[in-house]
Amino acid sequence: MSVVIPVGMGELKVARSPATLAVYGIGSCVIVSLYDTKSRVGGVAHVMLPDSSGIDKERLNPNKFADTAIPALYDAIKSEDGVFKANLHAKIVGGSEMFPPTEDFENNIGRDNTAAVKKALKKMGFPIIAEDTGGKRGRSIEFDLESGLIRLSILGEETREL
Amino acid sequence: MEDVTTLTKIQLDALREVGNIGSGNAASALAQFLNRKIDMAVPSATILDFKDIPSLLGGPGTRVMGIFLKVLGEISGRFLLLIPEKTSIKLLQTLIPGCEIEDPLNMSELEGSCMREVGNILAGAFLNALSSLTQTPMLNSLPSMTYDMAGAMIDSVVADMTAVSDKVLMIETSFIESEEDLRIHIFLLPEPKSLTLLLQKIGVI
Repeated sequence: MSVVIPVGMGELKVARSPATLAVYGIGSCVIVSLYDTKSRVGGVAHVMLPDSSGIDKERLNPNKFADTAIPALYDAIKSEDGVFKANLHAKIVGGSEMFPPTEDFENNIGRDNTAAVKKALKKMGFPIIAEDTGGKRGRSIEFDLESGLIRLSILGEETREL
Repeated sequence: MEDVTTLTKIQLDALREVGNIGSGNAASALAQFLNRKIDMAVPSATILDFKDIPSLLGGPGTRVMGIFLKVLGEISGRFLLLIPEKTSIKLLQTLIPGCEIEDPLNMSELEGSCMREVGNILAGAFLNALSSLTQTPMLNSLPSMTYDMAGAMIDSVVADMTAVSDKVLMIETSFIESEEDLRIHIFLLPEPKSLTLLLQKIGVI
């Protein structure tokens, strides 16, 4: 049984197989994973917001924002032995709209997070090989670094792998 | 006041009293339409790290009914009701004669709108008391509802409040019906930008 490492909101974790990175109760946040298929090192960023511009740099938690979390995730993962940029691919999960908008308010954080994460990954040249984003349901994931597969759970649906 | 960590103990005590007055009124409304005795936990006004919120609710994966409303007006905020599975079912069975729901995941249209109405009534009662207290009109938006994992709801509600600081000001209480162990958790999150006005209106700034 490999160790299970939980990743909370605004956190970023990197680990090497055998280990599982787990995120429970994902709503409008977007989980970005990077995985090196050769060295079996993987990392996860739990992104809460799309854009860090306008935030005082001294107080900024880079792991919260799409534009800063993805470079930070890459920095963390590339410092591990045997990781090469060419072997890395990304998967993204989350960005849902938990509370459907009513006529009084809108709620686009999930959608904005998803778009910002895609933009940041594209900018850094990481291909997105799997994605489960949007909709109205919460998600939980377990990212097995042995296989590189992400097991995705949604209430009322069959568990599936990405 | 964008940074809630600078709130003093006196200010937090005053905000707890805001929670007390609002939830007292909401508890009476609940007792009235359920025709049962409702107890209220002592409200708290705390500054929390957003990461610690899901654990208050039994962990991020806990299934719960969430009803979300925005507080509209000069003093704005967010209002979230979290209702555990068992209580959701019991509420529906009490309010809808002949209701046979077993899993809130499969709520019908009628059951859903009944739960939203519960949210509407409780938020309305809470905010009415606050409007009188602050002499400031406060209205609630239409309620939005879902049944899902607690953590997923929390991140959607607080995400954009945490851009600057990891800390969130939360006024919290719960309603308890002890005969059948029914529980409803109430959270009021004032928008940081309207916090100064709220503190002025309650005389602690």
